[in-house]
Amino acid sequence: MAAAASALLTTGSILLIGQVPIRSVPAFLSGDLFATAVQAADFALLGLFLFFGIRFKDLLITGLSAAQIAGLFFFEFVILADSHAPAAGLYCDSLSLVMVLLICIAGSLIVLYALPYMQEHERHLKPGKSRNPVFFSLLFVFIAAMNALVLVNDLMLFYFCFEITTLCSFLLIGHDRTRTARENAGTALRINSMGGAVLLLGIVLIYTRLHTLDIQEVIARVQGTGALLIPLGLLCVAGFTKAAQMPFQKWLLGAMVAPTPVSALLHSATMVKAGVYLVIRFAPAFAGTFLSTGVAVCGAFTFLSAAALAVGQSNGKKVLAYSTVSNLGLILACVGINTRSALSAAILLMIFHAVSKALLFLCMGSVEQHIKSRDIEDMRGLFGEMPKVAPIITMGILTMILPPFGMLLGKWMAIESAAGNLFLLFMLAMGSALTVVYWARWAGILMGSDFRGKPRPERLHVLSTISLFSLLGLAILLSVSAPFFHTGLLPGSITGAGGFAPVNGSLANSAGSFAVIPLFLAAAASFLFALAGSGRSSGAETAAPYMSGIAGPENGTYIGPMNRITRSVNRNYYLSAFFGEQRLSGAVNACAGILILLMMGACI
Amino acid sequence: MIYAYALAGVILAPFAGVFIAGLDRILTARFQARTGPPILQPLYDIAKLWAKEPMIAHRFQPLCVYVYLAAAMVSVGLFFAQSDLLLIFFVQAVGAVFLVMGAFLVPSPFSQAGANRELIQILTYEPLIIIVLAGIYLSTGSFEISAVYAMDKPLLMNLPLLFIVFGYALTIKLRKSPFDISASHHAHQELVRGVLTEYSGRQLALIEIAHLYETVLILGLCSLFWTTGVLGTVVLLAATYLAEIVVDNICARMSFKWMLKSVWTTGLALSAVNFAWLYARGKF
Amino acid sequence: MFKKIMERSRIKSPWLVHYDCGSCNGCDIETLACLTPLYDVERFGVLNIGNPKHADVLIVTGSVNTRNRHVLEQIHRQMPSPKIVIAVGSCGLSGGIFKEAYNVVGGVDRVIPVDVYVPGCPARPEAIIDGVVEGLSVLADKQRRPDAANGAVAVDHTNSEILYESR
Ligand code: SF4
Repeated sequence: MAAAASALLTTGSILLIGQVPIRSVPAFLSGDLFATAVQAADFALLGLFLFFGIRFKDLLITGLSAAQIAGLFFFEFVILADSHAPAAGLYCDSLSLVMVLLICIAGSLIVLYALPYMQEHERHLKPGKSRNPVFFSLLFVFIAAMNALVLVNDLMLFYFCFEITTLCSFLLIGHDRTRTARENAGTALRINSMGGAVLLLGIVLIYTRLHTLDIQEVIARVQGTGALLIPLGLLCVAGFTKAAQMPFQKWLLGAMVAPTPVSALLHSATMVKAGVYLVIRFAPAFAGTFLSTGVAVCGAFTFLSAAALAVGQSNGKKVLAYSTVSNLGLILACVGINTRSALSAAILLMIFHAVSKALLFLCMGSVEQHIKSRDIEDMRGLFGEMPKVAPIITMGILTMILPPFGMLLGKWMAIESAAGNLFLLFMLAMGSALTVVYWARWAGILMGSDFRGKPRPERLHVLSTISLFSLLGLAILLSVSAPFFHTGLLPGSITGAGGFAPVNGSLANSAGSFAVIPLFLAAAASFLFALAGSGRSSGAETAAPYMSGIAGPENGTYIGPMNRITRSVNRNYYLSAFFGEQRLSGAVNACAGILILLMMGACI
Repeated sequence: MIYAYALAGVILAPFAGVFIAGLDRILTARFQARTGPPILQPLYDIAKLWAKEPMIAHRFQPLCVYVYLAAAMVSVGLFFAQSDLLLIFFVQAVGAVFLVMGAFLVPSPFSQAGANRELIQILTYEPLIIIVLAGIYLSTGSFEISAVYAMDKPLLMNLPLLFIVFGYALTIKLRKSPFDISASHHAHQELVRGVLTEYSGRQLALIEIAHLYETVLILGLCSLFWTTGVLGTVVLLAATYLAEIVVDNICARMSFKWMLKSVWTTGLALSAVNFAWLYARGKF
Repeated sequence: MFKKIMERSRIKSPWLVHYDCGSCNGCDIETLACLTPLYDVERFGVLNIGNPKHADVLIVTGSVNTRNRHVLEQIHRQMPSPKIVIAVGSCGLSGGIFKEAYNVVGGVDRVIPVDVYVPGCPARPEAIIDGVVEGLSVLADKQRRPDAANGAVAVDHTNSEILYESR
């Protein structure tokens, strides 16, 4: 059932290609009945949040939802009482299309993977009654809400979808009903309620000034005037909370207690991308203002600091989470730079990040179910135990950091666009180096030969296999075709003069060019060369590692004191003296907070 | 045409590399009041290693080594094709990452520690090089090498401090003292041969060849700082490399923590000053 | 042609690994003295590489005992061929003054095949250098006939003294 639905979603989204831009106001969206229904649903949703707040005895959630109810009431019945905003309906341009494709394809693959995963999960957790039907319904509501969010053209509808994603993430994070799950779900709700409140405030301010809720109209009227910076800034802050930017990253880190498909969904195609989408959508409205620079600086700071925090982590899921925060920071930095090239970079990064990160999270899920640990150090020599998943993770990691793959293409575009701003450049350069460290370190130990545990046969359900391989294939295929879909799919306003354009299989602008196709050819050739070369030398038997002459009979052991066979224990550097969570978090959060305050302050 | 340049570069680079490495060893010997090996010594070393009995510590290691070499070759090819500087650097990074991954494959404490330290070295020099390349972009308006050659004034005039920063990065990349932290040219230490410990025979020969390519690439990047006359280029390269050798000879190895702290602070400070100066002169 | 270059290169680039089996450290000091600028063995391409996996020449000092014989064997095994072993000092040759000890096995050749013997207590640096140079011809020979029987050579201690005098 779920599989069929995923297939349907995917085909639907693909059929949408070539139809853009669509602007429609369907009858059912413009009727009074619909408006009232949304109104009622809005209040119901906020009431639900209020209820959760009271039940958890959480003052912040209670206060925020109460404030939102009051604000919404005031807006709907006082400000909107006499004037009725015309329904803005739907709007689907290239940006929305990219998002829809991303949400549907990556989302569907994640659902596909979740089918066998959740069965295993329940077997392990043993709840009284299966809660999987609820789980999968929530997943689909989530995907639907995301799709709606990127397609609506009405700010109030947007707000409604935004809150639904908050609700879904809250319920999904708390799915396992353990103590930590509840607590972290609470954190997610708390931070996202802040985002919701800020968003509502921004919308109300926009309406009071422009008397319209039509997103396209707002952008068209504000563009180039440098006006309305405060509400736009508020929208950006709302985006930051959703995209788990510093200092709001805590909820996303907590979200890893949820079953892995939820994390995969939150981190790749949905939720965090909603925040990024919001900022990209309004980017033309604040282009060239100080707000734009502020967004760039905040994003770059998040990129750097989250990468530094990731270096200090040995918990695999936390590394993945910090890397998401970090990459979203990079994307937002690009949005803030706000030139054509930078926006290209932002959208490409969003696409490639979603695919690779979904892949890595799903792999982590399989690994965790198999070796019962999330620690990277426990994955040493994982290849011996999981000969299918370990190479996929390694490949996934390589698609994150190395050329000619898409993420690196995006990073390259980002750095080239940021080169004019010293502060941004420093942060991006350092962040990019830190990124290489935490990924390469992980990729390195996976394929080694020092697995510590007892090997058990790797069981990988056929659906999971399909899902993992399609994501990996997608990551590679998209990277190869980047120059083509860049022009074909991205908005014309970005790919036009001055932006990146394909030249002989390279993506080039006036400042530089990235030879995508030639590099892929070179990569393929060198891979064959490497295979042939290593094939020639594979006749030799593998020698024991050098252990100062006292290597034991088994690989990775040595003859220790009292002639005992001792295993040599290797551990990676995590540099906790520099990059530990305790050491950095406080300072980083404070700095990020100050940066956001500065950004908002400058708007006034 | 650019393909011809690239091909010529890829073919000729290792020979130039052998010459430079041989000269390096002779000069080092002279500094120590020795005669030193013949100039073709690096070639002898490589040829000898090539013909040794294959001994492999992990079945994926040869793959990593070949990818390392291929990446070094492609980056040199891109350099001679006058391609995008940042791209060249990222392609070169592929090789560095694969070398580290190969070292991680073997559960030997020396190779593991070496791999981790090599990553710290990458962490230290990568931001500096990116910043230097951005400095070049600010002076020329493009990341393409061809734009550098279109300048009528040598880059060194605009970027004197960034050149020093580049020198730092170069020392780390060439693993010269005090930054020979992940693997030393001279053994006799706690690390044995660090990241190189578990590569032997033909694999080590391939790594040496890749290293020749990297040396050529680095000197090539260095040469971009003086493009207005051949004599100036040669003098600049010779002076830089001589300085490297002197530093190598008079310094002891330091710890990676010291490297990370000192290089980042000095490097960033110097580049900030240089950028400020460019800014003051209205370069961007 | 390539083959020829490789053949020539082999004797032009002997990389050493030095293992102290159970020496009184006298021979070790002399061995390391060879590597000082005074003797400048890098003229012959000699490098002390410290890692058996990279080395061509194993220099062993001291007498072998029941405990470290395994280490010696393993280090020898981890050197890819072609390789040569040079036993240095009376102890390395026969067990020397430790020969009668309860745990001593004897000279290096009790455990691994030795190609060059350098006598002396301690062996002089010149003799050790001479031994390495002597070993190179064995190395060249080994390559021509890979499984040739061990044609061990002993370095004439007095000869090398003359070499030293004439310098
Ligand atoms: S031969 Fe003499 S100097 Fe050498 S180790 Fe034996 S006792 Fe010491």
